[in-house]
Amino acid sequence: MIEIGLGHYLTLSAIIFCIGIVGIFLNRRNVIIILMSIELILLSVNVNLVSFSIFLQDLTGQIFTMFILTVAAAEAAVGLAIIVIYYKNKGTINIEHISSLKG
Amino acid sequence: MEYIIVLLPLIASIISGFFGKKIGDKYCLLLSSTLVGISAILSLIIFYKVLTEDYSSNRLFFNWISSGDFIVNWSIYVDTLTSVMLVVVTLISTIIHFYSIGYMSHDPNKPRFISYLSLFTFAMLTLVTADNFLQLFFGWEGVGLCSYLLIGFWYKKPSANAAAIKAFLVNRVGDFGFAIGIFLIFYFYGTLNYQEVFQQTPSIIQKEIIFLGIEFNLITLVCLLLFIGAMGKSAQIFLHTWLPDAMEGPTPVSALIHAATMVTAGVFLVIRCSPIFEYSQVALNVVATVGMITAFFAATVALVQNDIKKIVAYSTCSQLGYMFLAAGIGAYNVAIFHLFTHAFFKALLFLGSGCVIHSFNEEQDIRSMGGVWKKIPYTYALMIIGTLALTGFPLLSGYYSKDAIIEFAYLKGNTIGYYAAFIGIFTALLTSIYSWRLIFKTFHGRYKNKEKSLSSIQESPLVMLIPSCLLAIGAIFAGFAFKEIFIGYNSSEFWNSSILFLNIANHSHPPLWLVSITPAIVILAIPISYYLFIKNEKILGNLIEQNQFIYNFLLKKWYFDELYNFIFVEPLKKIGLFFWKKGDINTIDRYGPDGLSKIVKIISDKAVNFQSGHLYHYAFVMLVGLSVLLTYFILY
Amino acid sequence: MLAHSIFFYFFSSVAVFSAIMVTISKNTVYSVFFLILVFITISTLFIMIGAEFLGMIMLIVYVGAVAVLFLFVVMMLNVTQQTIKSYKKKGVVNNISVGLIVGIIIFLELIIAAAGWKYKDTFVPLSSIDPYLNISNTHALGNVLYTDYIHLFQISGMILLVAMIGAITLTFTRRENIKRQNYFQQIGREKDNSISLVDVESEKGIKIDD
Repeated sequence: MIEIGLGHYLTLSAIIFCIGIVGIFLNRRNVIIILMSIELILLSVNVNLVSFSIFLQDLTGQIFTMFILTVAAAEAAVGLAIIVIYYKNKGTINIEHISSLKG
Repeated sequence: MEYIIVLLPLIASIISGFFGKKIGDKYCLLLSSTLVGISAILSLIIFYKVLTEDYSSNRLFFNWISSGDFIVNWSIYVDTLTSVMLVVVTLISTIIHFYSIGYMSHDPNKPRFISYLSLFTFAMLTLVTADNFLQLFFGWEGVGLCSYLLIGFWYKKPSANAAAIKAFLVNRVGDFGFAIGIFLIFYFYGTLNYQEVFQQTPSIIQKEIIFLGIEFNLITLVCLLLFIGAMGKSAQIFLHTWLPDAMEGPTPVSALIHAATMVTAGVFLVIRCSPIFEYSQVALNVVATVGMITAFFAATVALVQNDIKKIVAYSTCSQLGYMFLAAGIGAYNVAIFHLFTHAFFKALLFLGSGCVIHSFNEEQDIRSMGGVWKKIPYTYALMIIGTLALTGFPLLSGYYSKDAIIEFAYLKGNTIGYYAAFIGIFTALLTSIYSWRLIFKTFHGRYKNKEKSLSSIQESPLVMLIPSCLLAIGAIFAGFAFKEIFIGYNSSEFWNSSILFLNIANHSHPPLWLVSITPAIVILAIPISYYLFIKNEKILGNLIEQNQFIYNFLLKKWYFDELYNFIFVEPLKKIGLFFWKKGDINTIDRYGPDGLSKIVKIISDKAVNFQSGHLYHYAFVMLVGLSVLLTYFILY
Repeated sequence: MLAHSIFFYFFSSVAVFSAIMVTISKNTVYSVFFLILVFITISTLFIMIGAEFLGMIMLIVYVGAVAVLFLFVVMMLNVTQQTIKSYKKKGVVNNISVGLIVGIIIFLELIIAAAGWKYKDTFVPLSSIDPYLNISNTHALGNVLYTDYIHLFQISGMILLVAMIGAITLTFTRRENIKRQNYFQQIGREKDNSISLVDVESEKGIKIDD
């Protein structure tokens, strides 16, 4: 317990991953929470990669993390743009009211 | 030539049935009647040939079944017995065809009627000209079918439909026994052709088999089963209930089917199988007993009936009992002779009743008739001739045949014979009483009809009277003319191989008192019944009041219908209803089609919730799927 | 080592707590703040573990750009504070319990998957960190990024470009009722559609600009 090893970091990553996943469908408020949960998931993956990279003495993990960072940023930007447009069209981003896929 | 006889009615039936609308009613009727008439003429020629040259033939029509050793052919077999039946069937059928041109003149469905009549004739001819049991059974079923179609001809009447179904069902019970008999014959003889069966019979008379746990002599069992079929078709007791209800059909139908031809198919069967019956005394005794009981029973019921056609129907039933009686005591030729004469006078009686009904504008209750003998003299004369022949008035045809039965029964010498003779004489008394009751109540006495006035009663048209006259000629002369041939001393040569006599019938003369008692009773019955029914009706009224129970017993036909209703019909209906309601609807349908469709609907209603449109539901489902996949991969 | 573990436990618990608060906080702005807190703590973890370049990059990019973007949108979109009705659903099987159960299941499976992992003995690091070479993390990353992974680098640049164009295209609206300059139209003016000679009759006047 005192000695922090790879397992601890992996556990942390798993916890944040699960919180992110649970957050996607346990929210009843609005779509932005979903995007934030996605950011959490990506973050947990980053932690995973970096911890492996450090413990295995391999830089590949950190390179990968950089790219994930890039993509996460891009995706957050586009996602938020879509939300803005959707809000302009529908007037609400309340989860309960977004059900055009109903059928 | 034989082919033409059998096929012409079929052609007539097909043309009337399928093209009736195209060629018009009148041509239809004329065409069918003519074709059947040609058949009649040809069968007369064949009968003449049989009479003079001892003609017999077996013409193959086509090979029907040929499976291993089981060979059954469709053939037209003519021998003495067949030729007699051919004459009866075709002649009466022709006369009825012509009669129905007049009788059915206001009916819109004439082509259908004529088609059914011709079809019936074809089926009957097939039955009669069969040379194996299978073709006989085909004809048997065919006439049953035509009887159903014709009884229920006016299908809009519910009582007609019910009567038709009743006829078919009761017949079916008889056919069931008949079919089992045929199965037994095939199983033990290996063949269904008459000649082979008759040849093999003497060699297996000692065979015993176990049927339903009881040990039977094979021949006895086969004969009994065949006789059950005959009972059904010829309306003997226990299976007679359909015959009076069959009067729902038009009168020509009653005349043809239920007087002259179909009901005689049973008698024909017994006589045709005389080579088998002769070897089983038990079966013959059963036949004679059943015939006796039927004759007596039907005569008692006919005493109190009020519908003119029902009286004649019960009279038919009774006379059939006579025929079976004759067959049961071994006098097959007498039975055929009685069949021959009975066809004429019974058809005449039915046609006469048809004329009466036609004159009275479809009224059938004799309590609403009376006093019209001057108005419709020809009908009156025809009915008188028919009644005289039926009761056995000396010198008319019925006298020869009926008295021959009684004499042969007496001469047989054993207990059954004496019983038969006694019951025969007593029934003859009853027969004359109810026949003359019919005549007097219909034509004499006060005019009792409330709807029609006396002056509007008119004679029937010629096209209905002339056929009846032809029948009257037959009723008068057929007995005298053919007595020697059928039942005379040399009759065994006439019949030669078509009927088997194991014990040559006693040819001695019966005692004088026996010969004279029947005609005496019959002649005396005329004034007695006149007195009872016309002059002094109060005696009867008092008799009925004092014996109300017996009167009701007879009026309700010995409560047979109620008994059968109670034992068979109601329970079967309840069982059927139970199976339908509980079994079919509740169980099979509920778990089958209905249940499935309900389940599908329920499932699809639940499945709709999957497509809620909300993102988180979709994400959740994806997640669950992912976790299942993960679990699978981890565990395996 | 003790300090290391204390720091680790502290920061990771803060991170987990903030992550939970992201999802269940009623106010969306609070959620964004908690998200920022998560980023910061994870970033310190990275710095602590020795990947300081990534920690700083995360701070700059995630917190400085992405989270601020989230805040902008949250502020812009009038996200009202709503009560979460369906959390109060009565009954044993409601959303929270099912969701928690599924989450726990996934967590356990991840643990199982990780615990069952053995790395190969013949594991050869692709780009190994040589601990005896005294270069900083940034330097080491730079050595590898622009040489071995140059293609991925360029592609990620293009991804960013595409994202930018996409975002602009989606949200770009041209207002209708504003006068703008259309350069091409101005330059391409012809004599025919700008000047016209009109004969004016005396005392009649002329109508222009209708």
